[in-house]
Amino acid sequence: MPWNLDDDRPIYLQLMERIQHDIISGVYKPGDKIPSVRDLALDAAVNPNTMQKALSELERAGLVYSQRTSGRFITEDEKMIKKMKMELASEHIRHFFDQMHHLGFSDGETLEMIQETIRGNNNATNT
Amino acid sequence: MLGKLIKYDLKATAKVFLLLHIVYFIICLASRFLFMDRLDFNGDKDLLLAQIIVFSSAMLILFVLVNSGTWLLFTVRFYRNLFSKEGYLTWTLPASGVQHLWAKIISGWILYAVDVIVLSAGIVLLVTGQNVTDAYAAVAAEVTAEFGMPISTFGIYMFVLSFLSGICAVISSYFCVAAGQLFPSHRVIGAVAVYFITSACVQVLTMLILAASGHFSSDYFAGVTAGEGRSVVGYLFEGLWGSILLMFAIAAVQYAVMHFIMKKKINLI
Amino acid sequence: MRPILECQQLTKKYGNFFALSNLNIALDRGQIIGLLGPNGSGKTTLIKLINGLLVPSEGHIMINGMAPGVESKRIVSYLPDRNYLNSSMRVEELLSFYVDFYDNFSMERASKMLDALEIDRRARLHTLSKGTAEKVQLILVMSRDAELYVLDEPIGGVDPAARDYILQTILTNYSENASVLISTHLIAEIENVLDRVIFLQNGQISLNATVDEIRTEYGKSVDTLFREVFRC
Repeated sequence: MPWNLDDDRPIYLQLMERIQHDIISGVYKPGDKIPSVRDLALDAAVNPNTMQKALSELERAGLVYSQRTSGRFITEDEKMIKKMKMELASEHIRHFFDQMHHLGFSDGETLEMIQETIRGNNNATNT
Repeated sequence: MLGKLIKYDLKATAKVFLLLHIVYFIICLASRFLFMDRLDFNGDKDLLLAQIIVFSSAMLILFVLVNSGTWLLFTVRFYRNLFSKEGYLTWTLPASGVQHLWAKIISGWILYAVDVIVLSAGIVLLVTGQNVTDAYAAVAAEVTAEFGMPISTFGIYMFVLSFLSGICAVISSYFCVAAGQLFPSHRVIGAVAVYFITSACVQVLTMLILAASGHFSSDYFAGVTAGEGRSVVGYLFEGLWGSILLMFAIAAVQYAVMHFIMKKKINLI
Repeated sequence: MRPILECQQLTKKYGNFFALSNLNIALDRGQIIGLLGPNGSGKTTLIKLINGLLVPSEGHIMINGMAPGVESKRIVSYLPDRNYLNSSMRVEELLSFYVDFYDNFSMERASKMLDALEIDRRARLHTLSKGTAEKVQLILVMSRDAELYVLDEPIGGVDPAARDYILQTILTNYSENASVLISTHLIAEIENVLDRVIFLQNGQISLNATVDEIRTEYGKSVDTLFREVFRC
């Protein structure tokens, strides 16, 4: 999967977000071994030092841990991953509501529209 | 390192060099059997003379062509390998400028030496037919007296001399190319200009030395023309030692300048 | 550890024209550094000084603490901005040339890359397409275990696919204590692989910072910043 990096934000931040996302969405399972810095860097076509920095930051945040000889692994603390997932979800929701406010919808109207959309989706899949 | 550099110099020039000299040798071989061996030294003198004059002029042109071809080969190699775009590779090899210089001098001299050997072998091949040696035997004593030595000895002298002067020829052509590099926007014209300036300087220097050592005094020439025991070759050789010394002295100076350029003044465009 | 490259008051003059003036740089090991600047800003001059193809007018340049010379040439692997190889040579002849002269040349690495591209080793360089010939040059340069790779415009004039291949080749082959100095004016394509960029302007350094420093500080890509700084 291409990494699709933006060009106006620090690269290591984007790499962190991307790996974080892969962990939360289950591309990497808890306890999985992460590919080497060099391989990840090659895959993302970025500088290995930048990838190193992103992983170190993730390590500091406790999302990955390294074993001196055998490499880096995803944390086995599923509670933490779950918590992060929730955080990310609520961040998306907040963002979404902000945008709806900009368009001039109240929270109630927005909620109604959401429900309608879900119903529409269900009808579409049923038929 | 020096050995490797020389190896690649020779490799790069080998093809053209071999072709040139094989063609030369085949021409000599053909001339010997198709022309020289059929010369009749007892026949019509005028015809013989005309044949020999035409043939030796043609051969002379051939010698000059083969010799200049060789000269061009190592000079162009020197220029291309060090100062054209190929210089980007050559100058980033882990070798010093002085090593490059010596590699080029030695490989150039090897080409020059082999050239002289092949050219001489061709001449020997041309003049060693039975008819030629017989005809020469008749005048041998006279020629020996005039030259002050047998013609074969004279030939060997000439051979050794061209062999040795080869190194000076190699150095001075490299010198012109290297000095031409000091004029970054006109490298080739620079090299040609350096050539003319140095040859003019050498001639003036030669004149001065000859004048200083009294070679221009009227007594001296009187001695030669009156034939007071001096042979033509004797005169020739007397001047020759001087010019050989001068030649080597000039080559030494040119080498020193080049040594400096290769060490300190390399500025590739 | 001492810097792999150090310039102190480095100046190169051509007549009255200053191609570089009073440059001070120290580059660490293990980095990929972009040398950016418009044409005529002094990029190639600096690169030639590193490789001993030019002599400084003033100041010093040190590679691993040594002035350019036989020892520095052993550890610097240089890709010039032009076809510098004798184009009548065959690929295999070039390989043995590199093996002969550089003891840090890895035949294994070169073979692997040539095989991956299915390049015929019997082919003479001038019979290859321009893009393939450039790849051969890059393969030769990147197959050396050098401490400093100096690549002058490695991605100029090649198509996007070749560009990706070239960047991959650079990323795969440099080792952790080696540095790579890449000069280019095509920044967007290369920005993500760089640690640091040096902007050259009229022979002087106008910026020397890491890519993420620039993005954090200016909130824009190096490419965008470059276009602003060097707007005509």
